[in-house]
Amino acid sequence: MPGEALLFLFGTIMAAALLFMMVFFTIMFSDLECDYINPIDLCNKLNQFVLPEMLAHAFLGFAFFINGSWIAFAINAPLVAFNVQKISNNRHMYDATEIFRTLGQHKKECFIKLGFYLICFFYYLYRMIVALINES
Amino acid sequence: MSNIPPSQSPLSRPPPSSPNSRPMQATDPNQQIQRGPSPYQSTPLGPAQSGIRPNVPPAFRPGNFQQTPSGRPLSYPNQTAMSPTYQVMPANSTSPPAVENLESPSQRSDTPPSTSHKPKRLYPKEITEAYTESNTYGGQYQPFNPAVAPGGIGQQVQPPAIDQNAYQQPQFFTPAGDQNYQATAPSMTPAHYSQQYNTQQYNTQQYNTQQYNTQQPSMNASMGGLTNQLNNMNLGGHSQTQLINVNLIGVPPNVGDLDAPPPPINLPPNSSVTQSDKANCEPSYKRCTFNSVPATASLLSKSRLPFGLIITPYRSLKEGDEPVPVVTDTVIARCRRCRTYINPFVNFVEGGQKWRCNLCFLLNEVPSQFDWDLQTSQQANRWKRAELNHAVVEFVAPTEYMVRPPQPPVYLFVIDVSFPAVQSGAVATAAKTILESLDRIPNEENRTKVGFITVDTSLHFYSLNSNSSEPQMLVVSDLEDVFLPQPDDLLVNLTEARSVVESLLSRLGDMFKDTHTVGNALGSALLAGFKLISSIGGKIVVLQSSLPNIGPGQLKAREDSKALGTPKESALLQSAEPFYKKFAVDCSRSQVCVDMFLLGSQYSDVATLSCCPRYTGGQTYFYPAFNAGRSEDALKFAHEFAEFLASPIALEAVMRVRASKGLRMTSFYGNFFVRQTDLLALPNVSRDHSYAIEVSIEENITTPTVCFQTALLHTTCFGERRIRVLTLSLPVTNSISELYSSADQIAISTLLANKAVERSLSSKLEDARDALTNKLIDILGVYKSAITGSQGASPQLQTCENLKLLPLLALGLLKHVGLRASSQIPTDLRSYAMCLLTTMPSQLLIPYIHPRFYSLHNMPIDAGTYGPDGIIMPPSLNLSSEKLERHGAYLLEDGQNIFIWLGRQVVPQLCMDLLNVRSYEEVRSGKVTLLQLDNPFSQQVNAIIGKTRESRRGVYYPHLYIVKEDGGDPSLRLWFLSHIIEDRTDTVMSYQQWLGHLKDKVNSGSF
Repeated sequence: MPGEALLFLFGTIMAAALLFMMVFFTIMFSDLECDYINPIDLCNKLNQFVLPEMLAHAFLGFAFFINGSWIAFAINAPLVAFNVQKISNNRHMYDATEIFRTLGQHKKECFIKLGFYLICFFYYLYRMIVALINES
Repeated sequence: MSNIPPSQSPLSRPPPSSPNSRPMQATDPNQQIQRGPSPYQSTPLGPAQSGIRPNVPPAFRPGNFQQTPSGRPLSYPNQTAMSPTYQVMPANSTSPPAVENLESPSQRSDTPPSTSHKPKRLYPKEITEAYTESNTYGGQYQPFNPAVAPGGIGQQVQPPAIDQNAYQQPQFFTPAGDQNYQATAPSMTPAHYSQQYNTQQYNTQQYNTQQYNTQQPSMNASMGGLTNQLNNMNLGGHSQTQLINVNLIGVPPNVGDLDAPPPPINLPPNSSVTQSDKANCEPSYKRCTFNSVPATASLLSKSRLPFGLIITPYRSLKEGDEPVPVVTDTVIARCRRCRTYINPFVNFVEGGQKWRCNLCFLLNEVPSQFDWDLQTSQQANRWKRAELNHAVVEFVAPTEYMVRPPQPPVYLFVIDVSFPAVQSGAVATAAKTILESLDRIPNEENRTKVGFITVDTSLHFYSLNSNSSEPQMLVVSDLEDVFLPQPDDLLVNLTEARSVVESLLSRLGDMFKDTHTVGNALGSALLAGFKLISSIGGKIVVLQSSLPNIGPGQLKAREDSKALGTPKESALLQSAEPFYKKFAVDCSRSQVCVDMFLLGSQYSDVATLSCCPRYTGGQTYFYPAFNAGRSEDALKFAHEFAEFLASPIALEAVMRVRASKGLRMTSFYGNFFVRQTDLLALPNVSRDHSYAIEVSIEENITTPTVCFQTALLHTTCFGERRIRVLTLSLPVTNSISELYSSADQIAISTLLANKAVERSLSSKLEDARDALTNKLIDILGVYKSAITGSQGASPQLQTCENLKLLPLLALGLLKHVGLRASSQIPTDLRSYAMCLLTTMPSQLLIPYIHPRFYSLHNMPIDAGTYGPDGIIMPPSLNLSSEKLERHGAYLLEDGQNIFIWLGRQVVPQLCMDLLNVRSYEEVRSGKVTLLQLDNPFSQQVNAIIGKTRESRRGVYYPHLYIVKEDGGDPSLRLWFLSHIIEDRTDTVMSYQQWLGHLKDKVNSGSF
């Protein structure tokens, strides 16, 4: 199996994982709205995943960059920049005291990321298949 | 015209005044007599009793007696005896008053003095003005009152406003020779006087009217007169539904109306089942930004009015307030679906077997014991039940409302004992105050627990075993991994361990007096304190004098004077360290509340440390540059701290606001933690804390009324689980004009203040100010286009009567120390002001935004004396420096500070009477304690200050500053002048400029 196909296979798996993570986030947020969970537990739970998610995504982007998959990198670069900016402003963690005020914003962000990862997933899948076909 | 009292009817007033002949004006002369401050009034009592007294010749003037002080007319001693105020009792006024007094006793007897100050707010500002003006020109401040200034002190005559006098002089005055103040008073024959007197008052009125173009521009003056009449009649009445247009431009705001009640709530008849007058919530507990709710979201967004509730569920009860009725039989009827508590606005159906919830309209069974009196075991009258008669009611909660037995009150003191704290005397003062307050700490059930931790670079715990006589200190120096040195005796029952606690407190002040340890590990101490009390819950009282700089939660002195006034400033107003917020969230879970007393002499990082109280329902208190060596500082802190300790608190509380279908609570402002979408967690409910809640309309409202019900489930400090329920029912309207005419400017300002603070913390101060300005423009613009229906540019800025002070209050907010654009305000002060803005109830907040301003040198004779309703206050003045006369003495107070301003030509006698110094030059400006001197003026002023200190809700004990017009501390003078909000300051507009700005924006925008 060639490098590119492997890379995109990896990308596909990562995108699927991130996709599920976003689904999890969205479910948690709606739980909060329905009072099934209190904001402190919610934030403690979600904050564990914030940095891994960002790191995974950044790593994926970095891998595309190394491999020279410029289109895939270009797709991911804006989100990486967005995440870096969030961390530098120290806004990346969910704050239990502010969560209700910012809930709408968080949900919107989650939905957009969900859609983004979904598109990425199919794109990587397509690229993987293309790479495999080219190989054979 | 029919409302003009008979005594006035013979008067033919000149035409210009007639359009403005509001009833108030018509009654004005009487009013003046009743209120007794007129220059003429304080004339001798003797002649009045004897009927007639010889007239002093008009030639007698102060100038004369200045030369011959001994040759005073007979009336002088009397006059002095009668008029302890510094209000101008000119020599020349001697002749008219004789007559005036002839009739005034009868008038006085008609109207008992009680009326003299109570309905003060009913009278438009102009009256007050006319009244003070007349004082002023009736004789300028009489600098030498021979009887009180015998030794020739105060012989220095200052005729400060000669031109003004000459200008103001009505034709009825006899210009008596030289144009000094004495010339201004009428000297006329008694026979004419009573009429003339009135006429003269009218002239004054007209003068003012013309000068200020009272309330209405001349173009629609007659209509204005009518509406004003209506308005005045309606005040306090019920049917104030029609909208009353008021023009704002060119008219000084009537600050007396700040105390006016909000527009009445016009519920449909029979909406309450018991017709009790307590059926609807008092505004001091809960008020809405408008008293009729829009039926649709589009109407709300069209009106641009903010929709919110201001709730003060745990407000203090002053003398005369009715205590909250308690339902003790634990029969709590609640709706099955929406969990609403039964209230006066439900419906009973099926012969009273069922009740229909007024929030969700579900039919519920009436509990079987609802009509049963447990104590007498008899059928009880349902209609007498407190929850059907009172909007504010407390239920004793059965065990279903408890997750554990009610907790005892717990007070854990975390005291900074590092070098700066000991040096400033904070430790000694705090220890002494706690010691003296031990009896006042809520401890009815003898369950209250106390504990102490002192902290510098290590933590000191105190083992307070009740069997030992001496406390034992245990030192823990591991700051990173905090542990409790022993499991017991660190938190002890106050009653059992009283002697050992007293022994500790009496020694605490001296224990660290030789310390040189600089450094404080507050974070570790908080963690240790949390470990100590988290199983019970309670209060951590932090007394902090230095910046925590070691261990977890260490802070840096990050104040950067270059950043002040720039967009970077908002970063300084935000928390620097997530530790405190995280800690607060943990506290909230364990029902622990943190209160911060910050006594730092240097930068204290209020912004970061105030996070702990903010999310735990506590309060931040800040004493900048505290030094117990100054008795004023020590007194203020000790008083507030003692009041804080003594005030009853509610423990382990949650608060929820339910509202009728279609309404949803969207955002919450105040000190609490939002635990669920609509549930506020309050580990402690501090007294007199106010919470603002924004409401949105989710779906159209089809019912004629809506209801807001706040339920505060709490444990009282005497160990009873209770639910305090506040029910507010409001009518629904489809008309935008009704919406506007029912808007409550005080509630709107309170909500806007909260939103502005929120905005300046989340974004920038400038954004907050812009948002506030834009909100005002929106409201006024919509009023113009939708209500007055005028298109295009207009020279006027109209609003409705009940919103006419909104622009002033908004300007007050823009100029407030918490929001003002300035590069001079230290961030600590700003942060503290923001803490106050978000927690104060309206009664405290409005004076904080718009200080009260009184003139002392010519206050009414009965001001500062006991009336039937307590101390009588002088009329409040507009916050404009045109009110500052050079010979005047003024008092300004905003609930946090009191200033006494002395003009540079203030009469030496006044200095003598007030401050016991011989002249203005000897007056020392700055923080003072006012002496209680044995003269009427000092007693009056002390009474007024005492009243302002105690009349407001909250524990605050304002400092008193003496401010001199020149000399003294220039920054103090600037600080005082920054409260004069109607004037232009270097960056912000004056009131009239502000109105002009609003008008331009309203004219240019489309709404």
